[in-house]
Amino acid sequence: MDEPSQNPPNDGTQSAPPAKDALAFGESRAFAFGIAGWLVPGLGHALQRMWGRALVVFLAVASLVFAGASMKGNVFTRQGNDAFDTLGYIADMGTGSFYLFARAIETSGADVSHADGDYGTRLLATAGVLNLLAALHAYEAARGHKA
Amino acid sequence: MTVVPPLELTHFQAFLLFAVVISVAFGFLGRRRPKDRVKYILWSLFLFLLVGIGVGWAMFPFSR
Repeated sequence: MDEPSQNPPNDGTQSAPPAKDALAFGESRAFAFGIAGWLVPGLGHALQRMWGRALVVFLAVASLVFAGASMKGNVFTRQGNDAFDTLGYIADMGTGSFYLFARAIETSGADVSHADGDYGTRLLATAGVLNLLAALHAYEAARGHKA
Repeated sequence: MTVVPPLELTHFQAFLLFAVVISVAFGFLGRRRPKDRVKYILWSLFLFLLVGIGVGWAMFPFSR
């Protein structure tokens, strides 16, 4: 059954604002997924129902953080002495909420006088960078880019 | 409060942990089909081990 159209004829100018709004909404949504993925590893993918990727990212970051902190790796803080400490802090913050988990595990502080502590520091930084990469992937996937 | 016992890994064990975890994560993030993922994981793991052990051997003459 044909109904009379409520909309005016589309001359190309009427559809522009909704399309722009939808684009902005999609971008905001993708950004939110990226932030969620950073805060809780795997959450950015889980919100998009990419369960396998979400689980793998969560377990990968969790295992690296757990191993790194258990090996008494250096969990950097804001009070760094040099640029390397600052870079380490940025990398560690990449783990999002797991940064607090690492701090909670490492109650007695870091011990980088042994090789284990040094390896632990690298594993913690790897966890952070991996999570940032995964968050970026979740963002790109939400924007509709092939992933 | 529960204190987590310190984890002691050899250099090779830590390296293997790194290689396996990163290979699996890259495989799942970079590929969509299960078969492609398995191939990617195995290939990147092999390259990690090859390069790691290769660099280790290359540094051996300077280790003492």
